Amino acid sequence: VRQFEAEILENRPVAEAWRELVIDWDPAAGEPRAGQFFMVRVSTFSDPLLRRPLAFSSFRRAFSSFRRAQLDDGARASDGKARASAIYQIRGGATRLLSELATGSRIDVIGPLGKAFPEPAEGETALLAGGGIGLGPLLFMDDILSGGDAAKARRLVLGFRSSSLLPSIDLPEGTVVCTDDGSSGFKGSPVDWLSRNARKATEDGLVRVYGCGPAPMLAALAGLSAELGWPASLSAEQWMACGVGACMGCALPRADGLGYLRACADGPVFEAGDVDWKAGR
Amino acid sequence: VKPDLRVRIGGLELSNPVGLASGTFGYGSEYEELVDTDSVGALYTKAVTLEPRQGNPVPRIVETPSGMLNSIGLANPGLDAFLKDKLPGLRSRRCAVFVNVAGSSEEEYVEVVSRIEAAVGAWTPGGKSGVDGYEINVSCPNVRHGGLAFGTDPVQVERLTRALRDSTDRPLVVKLTPNVADIAGIAKAAEAGGADAVSCINTLVGMVIDTRRRVSAIALGTGGLSGPAIRPIGVACCYKAARAVGIPVIGIGGIMRAEDALQYLLAGARAIQVGTGTFVDPRCALSVLEGIGSWMEERDVAAVADIAGMLQA
Repeated sequence: VRQFEAEILENRPVAEAWRELVIDWDPAAGEPRAGQFFMVRVSTFSDPLLRRPLAFSSFRRAFSSFRRAQLDDGARASDGKARASAIYQIRGGATRLLSELATGSRIDVIGPLGKAFPEPAEGETALLAGGGIGLGPLLFMDDILSGGDAAKARRLVLGFRSSSLLPSIDLPEGTVVCTDDGSSGFKGSPVDWLSRNARKATEDGLVRVYGCGPAPMLAALAGLSAELGWPASLSAEQWMACGVGACMGCALPRADGLGYLRACADGPVFEAGDVDWKAGR
Repeated sequence: VKPDLRVRIGGLELSNPVGLASGTFGYGSEYEELVDTDSVGALYTKAVTLEPRQGNPVPRIVETPSGMLNSIGLANPGLDAFLKDKLPGLRSRRCAVFVNVAGSSEEEYVEVVSRIEAAVGAWTPGGKSGVDGYEINVSCPNVRHGGLAFGTDPVQVERLTRALRDSTDRPLVVKLTPNVADIAGIAKAAEAGGADAVSCINTLVGMVIDTRRRVSAIALGTGGLSGPAIRPIGVACCYKAARAVGIPVIGIGGIMRAEDALQYLLAGARAIQVGTGTFVDPRCALSVLEGIGSWMEERDVAAVADIAGMLQA
């Protein structure tokens, strides 16, 4: 973990209120893994005051100039530096300010923070279910699982409210798109899709679920996984102040009723059975 | 000449006036990779209570204009776990360590301090026992028993301070609440009970309502307001307290920059703590310290204690 000033390489709209932020990553901070997050200070004034946590949606290691010519414009612009990205939604004043930061400007970053998604065990197929803006960490995980010769069996299922809200992001081949209104792809949520296709997935072998999205979706995903005996790693969302485990502000109730877990330091990725997802915000 | 930044709290000498406020820095290890605590004057731990406390229901925090509300509820692992798991890490700190102590009854405060005393042994100034002093939390607005109930009553503050005074030779700081009509009266009570310093302010009771869902943004309704929004209140409280007592006053509330800390020092505080500012910038305390030094050098101020006398009438 490091605190450093990053350069904004891109901050582009990918849907109406969604942006993709790409920054150059300080290799001394360590390599981010899928499920982890970083905190940005969007303003040096006191309002908005707190940093905002952003989940990594991709990471690319630094590369030599020799390889630059083979890469796309965005990669070339990073001048061979390591780059990390996050997809965020403009929800209030802080994310509005963040969306107004221009390419080339600098931003104060702390990361990588939190626990990452575990790797699937030998023989497990990864079912990656993302709702809305929760797609970022799953795109990152999918990218890792696709890695070269050691590619792992996986299925990415992403849900959106409507086709008009589909982001302009190159989704991996084979991604299942779900919309609440049926205007594109499967009509229903990613959990509905998994539920419908559960039998087949289970017949094919062992499964591990990876989830990120709104609280009701995570609760449904935890319920379905418990019912079918699937191990599930879900990424929780909670307001945060410090991001490093000191303030106890981002607490989530434990499933066993014995107190709380910290979303920032004990998570944000939890085994589905550890958290009381219904009690979340 | 380099300005003299040392500060004296009872028999303890701090290397400089900048501290890390209780509840914002855990027990030190959480910020290990981001902040070098060797340079700060003091670290005030997260509160320790006799029994473990799970803390309050969630949501516990919400951002406010230039501040935040929290209702953590003194979540902490309890005295036994503190002694076993946290104390060893505190022994290796170069800065002074004040253990923040909270409780629901006078007996609980006394038991926590007495058992820590038994664990770390008699006090020798400059010794590395892991505990250089105590900060007594009589000002938490987020627990039903203890906390504020003590801190708003001068009689109870004096009695509790005296009981703790009898339990330890280590420096005793009493942390005051601004949720009172007369903070000077409470500061005097702490001094009469034998406190070596008072720190102020703890958070102010506040509330944010989510109008869309018609619920409080904090699960328990109200929380404690901190951050730059409360700084003028903190400065005023220190100004009043410093004029009422002879013991040092430690200023807390919304310090983000050296200029903010200097307001407290000019108001009469001898030291300060950075709290919410650490969330915003983990290096906040270090840059505040550097800025205080530069300010003093530019004005040829010899010692940090001299700043209190520099406020123009």
